Amino acid sequence: MTRGETWSHRLLSDARRSSEYPDSLRVVDGSIESEPYRTITIVADPLGRFPRARAGEVGLDEGLALADAVRATERERSIVAIVDLPGQAFGRREEAAGIHLSLAAAADAYATERRSGRQIFALLVGKAISGGFLAHGLQAGWIGALEDPGVEVHVMPAASVARVTRSSPQEVARVATVVPATARDVRTFAEFGAIDELFAVRDAGDPTHAEIATVREAIARARAAALGLRAPVERLNAPAAGTRSLAREVRRRIAEAW
Amino acid sequence: MTGAKPRVSYAELTPRERIAGLVDAGSFREILDPFDRVSSPYLAEQGIVAQRDDGVVIGRARLAERDIALAAIDGRFLGGSVGEIGGAKIACVLERASEGALLLLDTGGIRLQEANLGILAVAEICDAVVALRARAPVIAVIAGRVGCYGGLSIAASLCSYIIVSEFARFGLNGSEVVEQEAGPDELDASDRAAIWRETGGTRRVAQGHADILVDDDIDAVRKAVLAGLHLRHERERLSTSRLRATIAEFAPSRSAEIAPPATRQSLP
Repeated sequence: MTRGETWSHRLLSDARRSSEYPDSLRVVDGSIESEPYRTITIVADPLGRFPRARAGEVGLDEGLALADAVRATERERSIVAIVDLPGQAFGRREEAAGIHLSLAAAADAYATERRSGRQIFALLVGKAISGGFLAHGLQAGWIGALEDPGVEVHVMPAASVARVTRSSPQEVARVATVVPATARDVRTFAEFGAIDELFAVRDAGDPTHAEIATVREAIARARAAALGLRAPVERLNAPAAGTRSLAREVRRRIAEAW
Repeated sequence: MTGAKPRVSYAELTPRERIAGLVDAGSFREILDPFDRVSSPYLAEQGIVAQRDDGVVIGRARLAERDIALAAIDGRFLGGSVGEIGGAKIACVLERASEGALLLLDTGGIRLQEANLGILAVAEICDAVVALRARAPVIAVIAGRVGCYGGLSIAASLCSYIIVSEFARFGLNGSEVVEQEAGPDELDASDRAAIWRETGGTRRVAQGHADILVDDDIDAVRKAVLAGLHLRHERERLSTSRLRATIAEFAPSRSAEIAPPATRQSLP
């Protein structure tokens, strides 16, 4: 069982899986401290109809299924996007069919629902990469993450970065040590104020009851404080966002000149 | 009657020339211009000379008696990529806009040299588009040499109206990245004709993924912008039932597959 499947299965009490969605989408309704939640997780589907989206990527079908699953959530239910995805699907068919629209439909659903008053949370348990993360996770008002080397955040696989920047994999690895924005580990990402809480786990793929309870308590606290309603821009004001001083400075100067 | 004006190629213009050609004459007021020298501190370490506006021109102008907020990406600087500063400029302009916003997109997407700061900014941009379009038009113009890719293709797709020219390529993953990730059998990044045929502006309008195809002419773009101020197409464009119907045409037939899925799973 992958990390995403494990956490989608175990995060909520009284969990019931919805069978209305494609096999690549795990949609589970249940509760945390007797409040209703839905978890949504993209999982690998080796039999999926699009070969480039069989390993848990956000593909053409997944983006649309995400949008539908978000919008179809019962009114009082909060959503937890469980993020364990290697990125978006890379393929010729995907480009021709307009995969960006599928991803946009998902991002649109998350942002619109949050702006209509539904709390949206995200929990990073594995990779959170690029367009896939923009479609599933980054529109959440609160983002938690397991503190684990398998939790990675970046915008492009290293080999592609090297090709597109006309550089070498060695140079890409060197730059990651001096420019934090290009690092891939979740701790560095948290230094941008992007992660609200990090959770220590001994085995991210096989969490203990106590570890799950800690995550549940954090989500319940965040919900009680309505943190799932915050817009992405509010991350700039997070205590840890000191490293994004440049973005704040730009905004301050625009506000002055506007 | 006035004589026909000579056609001026939008694609050949700089971001500031594009803005000047689209809004009421002389009404553009740039904010954080190059003299403010707000440029990326992350590029020197990566052997790149920074640009004083970080490749994004922003400001306010008048158009059709409206106060329009503008952001124009310079496709000539690092492929029009969006990093911390440029991303903050675009997001902030969208947040401050009141009567409408115009995004002139010419971008390969998130700047790889500022990767995760870029993705955070793009998440803010997406949210700001969703928030603004509920009360005012948000128009995207994709008619430059680079087109619109990566995270910004998601942001563009959220806009109320999308204008493209036949020059425009509009997609998520650039062809080089698809070739790198999926292999040259999947896509030959040097086959430019196929790339334009499959992901160019003409195709995108036929699919309903963009709203109007214009000539590569600044006056044609201006006319489309004026019309777009009154049109809201996002709901129809992002309808999952409609998109599902388009996607079905691209699903491979089962019998056409050479290797069974079990074999594919064992590949790295």
